[in-house]
Amino acid sequence: MESSELERFEAVVLPHLDAAYTLARYLTRSDHDAQDVVQDASLRAFRHFGTFRGAGSAEGRAWLLAIVRNTAYTWQRRHHGDTLTTAFDEERHSEAAADEHPEAALVAQGERAALRRAIDELPPEFREVIVLRELEELSYKEIAEVAGVPVGTVMSRLSRARRRLEEVLCATTEDC
Amino acid sequence: MTHPAFEAQLDAYLDGELATPDAAELEQHLRACPDCARLEQRRRAVSAAVREHVLRFPAPDTLRARVRSAVRADVKRRVQPRSYWSALAVAASLAVVAVGGWQAGLRHAASDALADQLLGSHVRSLMPGHLIDVQSSDQHTVKPWFNGKLDFSPPVYDFAGRGFPLVGGRLEYVGGRPVAALVYGRRQHLINVFLWPTEGGPTGGRPATTRQGYHLLHWTTPAYSYWVASDLGLPELRDFAALLQRGDSVAP
Repeated sequence: MESSELERFEAVVLPHLDAAYTLARYLTRSDHDAQDVVQDASLRAFRHFGTFRGAGSAEGRAWLLAIVRNTAYTWQRRHHGDTLTTAFDEERHSEAAADEHPEAALVAQGERAALRRAIDELPPEFREVIVLRELEELSYKEIAEVAGVPVGTVMSRLSRARRRLEEVLCATTEDC
Repeated sequence: MTHPAFEAQLDAYLDGELATPDAAELEQHLRACPDCARLEQRRRAVSAAVREHVLRFPAPDTLRARVRSAVRADVKRRVQPRSYWSALAVAASLAVVAVGGWQAGLRHAASDALADQLLGSHVRSLMPGHLIDVQSSDQHTVKPWFNGKLDFSPPVYDFAGRGFPLVGGRLEYVGGRPVAALVYGRRQHLINVFLWPTEGGPTGGRPATTRQGYHLLHWTTPAYSYWVASDLGLPELRDFAALLQRGDSVAP
């Protein structure tokens, strides 16, 4: 591997470590596992960097996220003997939010906690489309590439995922 | 347009993924159907709420350091796939050839092999899943973790205030005995600290070695043999070593 190849890898792929870690966090729901997944995925990405034909930053991101996703699924099977559907972790979401307006904060806090919990409880194939679309703002085509499914499947998963989150928000805010 | 057809296309519409004619048809329907308009509002609110409330997780600095180090270690392994063994072979042949002072030669070869072994541990620790057995920035979590795993209780300090946060610890097997490995971070770099009791552990070694882009520092205190490995620049690594030495000298 040429050192220029290393430089290209560090320039094209490493800027997306935040996105990679966020996706891994949502898929594994554990900081420790997510770190290992991202490291493993990055090394795989590096070893297969010769096959990466893209040039732009967006392509590098989608490519890395696809590897992170596959690594996360494999990791979970190997280390936890199951798919990515383990129980919700109460501890992770017991954070205290201090806002300036107590009453508004209370509502927002309830809504926020409910939403985060609801996303964690989504099946992984729904969770990943929400993260890729809402947080990473990937196009349907990019999400299809990352998740390895047709665009039509992305569309229906996203629709079903949002409908489920909508039900949770309705129940929390009683505003629908 | 029927309601199920509307709902099936609604998300694609909100995401700007619907073809123009379909989007126009959907908008026309929206204007005529208050139920669908409410549905559209609610779905839009979900998307906004997720974007507002749901966390992004920035990659921790230590993760960046791990990735960067792992990739660089991978390059080095490919460039010099036999370096570890050839270094050992060179050390061994030195020992055989140096007839004049063969005992000195042997000792030298042994300390070289020890440096090689520690360097190998350092590089291996950068591979996925190998860095830490106990992940904590709290010295009061890391230190007791070694209880029952080692026949000594290693001093553990946190130098977060000095820019060297404690990342965690793990067990290593070096020179025929289990030893403590403590991991510290420095920006994008990781530092492994190996230590074991001076008495009854492998000894010898140069105070400073640079190999394959990694620095190894070594010193002994009355109690412990220390080795520090990192790709951090030598001056900063020496600063870190000085912190450890100071920590030891004021420890009870």
